[in-house]
Amino acid sequence: MGTAAGIIRALNSGAKHLAVKRFTLRYPEEKLKFVGDGYQFDPASGSGIAGYKGRHMLFHDKCTGCQLCSIACEGIAEAISMVKVAEEWKHNKKSIMPQIDYGKCVFCGLCVDACPFYALYMTNDYELSSFTKEGLIYTPSQLAVKPNVAQDSEIVIGERGATHG
Amino acid sequence: MEGKTTVPALAELPPGLELQRVDERIMTLNVGPQHPGSGHMRIIVQIDGDRIVACDPDPGYVHRGEEKMAEYRNYVQNIPHLERPVIHDSCNILYPYCLATEEILGIEVPERAQYVRVIAAELNRCVYTLYWLAIYGIFLGHSTMFMWPTGDRELLIDLLEKMTGARVTHAYLVPGGVRNDVPANFEDVCLRQVDYFEKRIREYAGIFYDNPILISRTRDAGALSRHDAVALGTTGSVLRASGVDYDVRKKEPYDCYDSLDFETSVMREGDAYARSRVPWLDMMQSCRIIRDALSKMPKSGSVRVKLKPNPKGPEMVSYKRVESGRGALGCYVVSDGKPEPYRVKMSVGSFRNLIALPYLLRGEKLGNMPAVYWSLNYWPVEADR
Repeated sequence: MGTAAGIIRALNSGAKHLAVKRFTLRYPEEKLKFVGDGYQFDPASGSGIAGYKGRHMLFHDKCTGCQLCSIACEGIAEAISMVKVAEEWKHNKKSIMPQIDYGKCVFCGLCVDACPFYALYMTNDYELSSFTKEGLIYTPSQLAVKPNVAQDSEIVIGERGATHG
Repeated sequence: MEGKTTVPALAELPPGLELQRVDERIMTLNVGPQHPGSGHMRIIVQIDGDRIVACDPDPGYVHRGEEKMAEYRNYVQNIPHLERPVIHDSCNILYPYCLATEEILGIEVPERAQYVRVIAAELNRCVYTLYWLAIYGIFLGHSTMFMWPTGDRELLIDLLEKMTGARVTHAYLVPGGVRNDVPANFEDVCLRQVDYFEKRIREYAGIFYDNPILISRTRDAGALSRHDAVALGTTGSVLRASGVDYDVRKKEPYDCYDSLDFETSVMREGDAYARSRVPWLDMMQSCRIIRDALSKMPKSGSVRVKLKPNPKGPEMVSYKRVESGRGALGCYVVSDGKPEPYRVKMSVGSFRNLIALPYLLRGEKLGNMPAVYWSLNYWPVEADR
């Protein structure tokens, strides 16, 4: 194949892409849809449930203050510290619950794997930016709130290429 | 000059120092460590005009002490930090560690988990190769080849995110299987996106690999003969581009690779062009492996063996190898009976391919340096660990 023919072929293969739809996701307006409500773990079967590993969610009615999540995080990110809470639960004698510093968290989800009481899950919320370092520290009461996420874009493969529909 | 300066004989020099002849024609040029064309490393090149007379790669700027850190964490806590050296290829870099740990802990991995692992590893290999290819494109001034792989990478990252819950740094493989099962109807989504992905990468041939401009840049640049490739101890795509048919997936199959249908891609030329084309051919084989693994995967079953907290094994040594995006990747784990490993040593493909660089660049033009350097499939962070 001659040089000119090769260059024309290369240009032609690029020109074909003028008809291909734009693949880019327009992020703040569109958001990717994830599987399920986030990564969860089932201690009974010993395996996780697929989902996005975002900000955690803590169920105060299940947490016993056993510190296993905090121990699991030691040596990984050391993001979890146990703090006193004002609430009184029968199953949580010490009244301590995890507080997570998202300035340190690496979102590996091993704390979720460590929880034997179905108390700590992860959610689809990944927009955690803050103006201060303190704003990244989520207290047990902040972790109890279910995040409100509107994510609906998925990859659609059509005749004219793939897009985020 | 004679008589005035006393030049010590070589034997008198302290160890580590050497004398170098100074020639006014030779200029020493530091490429890096902050140069965008070197990655996190420095390449000290000596040039005579436009020709490189000597080259000394100087890695070590991103050393993180991963191996030492692994001695202070238990077998499960090691997972998030051991995948950091190559975040694009995190399943493959964890693979040998998990295989070695499983041997120490005496765990048998469920069959379904083996297939899920292989799918995750092959998707990761493609993600890594696309990222590498995008940088190779921009190194050669081909900005379309930067955009296309970066966009198509999204198809696979989306699949990995559905499987593992994270776009990079999945922390998915664990000793005893994988963290979680794939979501419902994953097989259909995966097949659809992998088929489209394969169609897309075939289009790269027209604009990049068959492009006469690329061929004239990379053909015969930094040619590595079959004999030298073996003698220098290169691995992965560099070795296969020099005509040696060596792939750990074929030669020492791990998990379920022996039951899957694929071929190793080999080219004979050994130049930068062949080295850039072999990973692309590997991606096609990865698509084939993923399709085959999806069809052979057991439809249900456990994907993770339940481990005790702080698992520990007997005093023993285990060494396992896998084929990563950059070549053979070995992990040597020594257990002394405690919950933490006594020693974790990773033998990475990047570092072994870098050894070939001084030999390849000698006599090349300086303008060919990025084309030759990046064709070695080198990842600075992995080499430094």
